Amino acid sequence: MTQATAERVMPRAGETESETFEALYERTFPKVYAYVASLLRDRSAAEDVTAQAFERAYLKHRSYKPSRGTPEQWIFGIARNAALDELRKRKRRAGLEVDPEDLRAPTLDDHAELSVRREVVRAALADLEGPDRDLVALKFTGGLSNAEVARVTGLSESNVGTRLHRTMTKLREACHDRA
Amino acid sequence: MTELDETIERELEAMDEAIERGGVTSNVALERELQEIALAVAWDAPEPDPAFSAELRERVRGGFERQDRASRFSLPALPKLRRPPMVALAGVASVLAALAVAVAVPLLTQEKKEETSSSSASLGAGTAAQELSQAPRNSTLPSDEIEPSPGVPQRDSGSTGGFAPGEDARRIERSAALTLEAPEGKLDRVAEQIVTVTDRYEGFVLRSNVTSGDDGIPGGEFELRVPADRLQAALRDLSKLGDVRSRTQSGDDVTRAFVSAEDRLEGARAERRSLLRRLENAETDTEAESLRSRLDFNASEVRGLNGQLRDLRLRTNYATVNVTLDQNTEAADDEDSGAAGGDGLGGALDDALGSLSASVEMLVRALGVLIPVTILACLLWLSGRSVRRRRREGALTT
Repeated sequence: MTQATAERVMPRAGETESETFEALYERTFPKVYAYVASLLRDRSAAEDVTAQAFERAYLKHRSYKPSRGTPEQWIFGIARNAALDELRKRKRRAGLEVDPEDLRAPTLDDHAELSVRREVVRAALADLEGPDRDLVALKFTGGLSNAEVARVTGLSESNVGTRLHRTMTKLREACHDRA
Repeated sequence: MTELDETIERELEAMDEAIERGGVTSNVALERELQEIALAVAWDAPEPDPAFSAELRERVRGGFERQDRASRFSLPALPKLRRPPMVALAGVASVLAALAVAVAVPLLTQEKKEETSSSSASLGAGTAAQELSQAPRNSTLPSDEIEPSPGVPQRDSGSTGGFAPGEDARRIERSAALTLEAPEGKLDRVAEQIVTVTDRYEGFVLRSNVTSGDDGIPGGEFELRVPADRLQAALRDLSKLGDVRSRTQSGDDVTRAFVSAEDRLEGARAERRSLLRRLENAETDTEAESLRSRLDFNASEVRGLNGQLRDLRLRTNYATVNVTLDQNTEAADDEDSGAAGGDGLGGALDDALGSLSASVEMLVRALGVLIPVTILACLLWLSGRSVRRRRREGALTT
């Protein structure tokens, strides 16, 4: 571990001690990647964007202020901006837009019923509007609380709750239709 | 969450619980269904490729140094630039703009003030020049020097002066106007110093009028004559006696009038010599009487022309300096002001106070610009950020 990454600059919410950037990376990387990949639906782009997000965070980690939210919110905010920038780039080069790919290969443990359920949910999720998919990804893929989602998206917490509930209801109905 | 409907709140909590416990927990059908979907989404979260994870972990451990080095080698001419902090840039730009305006505004104001004074002072200088042609009658100069000769028309310098080709020694009538502001309570002292400076340069005070004390508006008017070749030095010293509110100089070329008077004098003298010769040779009394009469008239003409030349010499050898002395009523506490030639500790303290006052004045001016510019910059920054955010969010809508 280098001195730079070992430097304690990232205080965690509710903790007096701070953690290193590397520890923050270890803790948040899988969730950040999952969120970005869910949003972009492109493994290669997700890897680029995730790496870019962590690099940006590393460059800015000394200016991080706990008053702006927890380190998770901060990292997710950076990752979301990077992902949205990537989506904007794709819009500009619409012809090169990639098709959604199956980001998760089924494991041997997957039961047939569960596998079917996942397929249905995945398909319904793909049909959601971008902002709705973003909320679902932040909440269930990124594992953030409603308050954290609100902080990352700039919405109010009650608005996040309402929109999330509406989206999940839509998703449920879509699953019914597909089933 | 108080604003949320109870049902919504309960269903959201049910989904949170399912994620937390890793399984469906509710007995309510609808909630169970939502829990299942939430779990399906969570369990279906894409997992990173192990190779990518390992690579990124290494980069994090290395502080992203390798990538930075690689970009430096691959793009030596285009080093990686971080986005500049917009707030800091806006702040720096605001400070620079404020300083520029704070410096420019007083300069422009001063220039404008001087322009206005200049035009009015030029008129004053013309009047002073005219007065000078009549001055000998009013001044304390020896009468043989200043008395205008009878029979010689007094010429206005403006009409007699001007272009005289072929003349190398130009005769310039110089004048200057100076408005000084004396510190509170120092009017008399500055007035005395004006006389002292005039004496030092071998000039003289033609007219002075100083009002001080409680009656009337304190101030003074001085009309000075200073040797033309020492005018600049005298003005420099006079300017040190108080705060200079305006300073104007003008020059009027009277070479033509001078040359004309000299020519006419030479002609008159030649005529006198001729008349004297004819008088010597006069054969009759009538002829002699007529010649004497013409000689008298000629003598009068020569005296007049001599006087005119003396007058022109005086006007060109001595410059007119009109000094207007005002009282500085704003600096009530400026006792023993350094500007009025005060020295020692008092003068130094006054200088320091003056500098401090000037600094505060500059600061207030700068703030007057800085605050609105900063507010504008902040508004621009906020609106820019809002637009950027909206554009980003727009990527989700399609």
